[in-house]
Amino acid sequence: MKVKNREPAKQENNIYRPIKGTIERIKKQTSDVSLFTLELEEPVHYKAGQFFMVSVWGAGEVPISVTSLARKSTRIEFCIRRVGMVTGRIHQLKEGDNLWIRGPYGRAFPLELAKGRDVVIVAGGIGIAPLRPLIETFMKRKKYKVSLLYGSRSPDDIVYLDETRKWKQQGVNVVLTVDRPTDGWKGNVGLVTTLWHLAEVDFKKSVAFICGPEVMIRAAMQDLFFFGMPEERIITTLEAHMKCGVGKCGHCYAGKLYICKDGPVFSYKEIKEQSILNLGF
Amino acid sequence: MKREWILDKNHLSYWLRQLRNQMQLIAPMRDQVGDIVFKQVEHIHKIELNCPSLLPSVKEFFLPQYERLFEYSKKDDRVVDSISKTKRVIFGLRSCDVAALNTLDRFFIDEMPDPYYKSRRENSLLISIVCNNPDPTCFCIGLDTGPYLKQGFDIQLTDLGDRYFVQAESEWAISIIKNYHFLFSRPQKSDYDDQYEVLLSSKARFQKRISLQQSRQLIKSGRIKDSFWQGITSRCFECGGCVYQCPLCTCFTVVDRSYNDTVERARLWDSCLFKGFTRLAGGILPNEERIKRTKRWFFHKLIHYPDVLESFGCVGCGRCTVTCPGRIDMASVCMKLKSIALNGEEITDEG
Repeated sequence: MKVKNREPAKQENNIYRPIKGTIERIKKQTSDVSLFTLELEEPVHYKAGQFFMVSVWGAGEVPISVTSLARKSTRIEFCIRRVGMVTGRIHQLKEGDNLWIRGPYGRAFPLELAKGRDVVIVAGGIGIAPLRPLIETFMKRKKYKVSLLYGSRSPDDIVYLDETRKWKQQGVNVVLTVDRPTDGWKGNVGLVTTLWHLAEVDFKKSVAFICGPEVMIRAAMQDLFFFGMPEERIITTLEAHMKCGVGKCGHCYAGKLYICKDGPVFSYKEIKEQSILNLGF
Repeated sequence: MKREWILDKNHLSYWLRQLRNQMQLIAPMRDQVGDIVFKQVEHIHKIELNCPSLLPSVKEFFLPQYERLFEYSKKDDRVVDSISKTKRVIFGLRSCDVAALNTLDRFFIDEMPDPYYKSRRENSLLISIVCNNPDPTCFCIGLDTGPYLKQGFDIQLTDLGDRYFVQAESEWAISIIKNYHFLFSRPQKSDYDDQYEVLLSSKARFQKRISLQQSRQLIKSGRIKDSFWQGITSRCFECGGCVYQCPLCTCFTVVDRSYNDTVERARLWDSCLFKGFTRLAGGILPNEERIKRTKRWFFHKLIHYPDVLESFGCVGCGRCTVTCPGRIDMASVCMKLKSIALNGEEITDEG
């Protein structure tokens, strides 16, 4: 029994205790996605790829990935889609209301893999959210050639539409596609995985970061591996039902790993070895 | 540091009464309907000393079925956590439960300590009893988690008829015995001999010999096909009984409950055998196929627990054997796996 070196139980030691954030700004992105900017009562230090447990008292907690640039700050942004009970309640909040968060949790994106390589970023729907700080980081450092393949349901469902224009100006090869075009849409139609020829990179020498629905992730990873990209350089971030974020509640358990603390960022190599997706258990 | 004493049975109730004056005493007691369960003791003489080995596990006292984590006051906009610091002594639990708690310590305390579990654990003294008479469903002997423990206990009692052979390991436990040194005497050679006899006779009484190691090897060898697990799954009622009874099943869910002025955030037991356990936002069910859930439970206990925590996710207490209406408890499944190993095929299970 662990009783040695007993420290007085400080309140800060409670891994489940959330801190308070005030919503400074809500920017509507699409009919069901909004960008929430929070000002926190104490600074948090987060990196791209990590997530927070975001909660509204009375509704519950949900895991939401960070969508603002990595830093230590009292300011943080979450891009949230209205999809369930808790996110429904979050969307009812107004500027000045409170959101409670705890984190950051999980592994960040391995940025060092991109050193001296071209970058392919593949996003589907709200999957763009954790990838946004990644794109911004690469643009800030100016040394990277970045291609973004981004698929949405329809032209009205493109999250960060303004920013894709900005990124284009900054030199990102932005390829947008939609499943269901509306009148006036002149861009690509169909799945992102049909647009590899527009990526303008040598897949064998580049690194990929993928986030989106599980079917898209699986297809994209298999394609890139088929094109010769080494499996340890195909990186994705996974979604799972989570209640704690710290590897205790058991919900996101896959293989012998917990998506929350051993992930949510995994390489294709890890996913295959640990049989995480398409649970080969 | 391990210390040994002899406690005359006539002194037990005095000692327990003294302990109860200092802290909460929990022991096997009859409840309103006559079941023997762990309860807070009001009358020492009502403790069931000769109860069967198999009682509901003490998991409830460390990870309660329903536990408040926080209370949020709407008026003050303040959050208060409710970490229990009650000092308790739990008397009469068995070796398997102590072994389970030792494994849970590694899970809950070693990395990212869970403050609720940790506080309960640190404030609880365990007085476990060696099983002289294991139940027919017990198989701790194959896992080294019973009928007695070589280490990892606070205080361990072996019933020698008219007296207890007392072993204490932790500092807290030793100090609690030393405070009442006048009740305890030094063990004589005959006491050691008697204890040895008791342990031997207890070991001989086990009816089930089950090797989880063998089951693990067999699964890892790849010889067990999905058709086997399909058969196991077809018998699963998805009642969650095994999960709730298991001293090593700890999955929980978290809920918010709103009252007039407050919100309570609480956690409660959950089960990976339920379809909605892994439900994603938008209603996607990654584990909708039942076989995935059955395999998840068994693989967690047989494969991943030893990989990560260096001990099986099973202590051989046999509670799932008693609970499972489909006879696909750990012992039965391991027996089936064993018959595959021996005969290359499955034989019908006994009974």
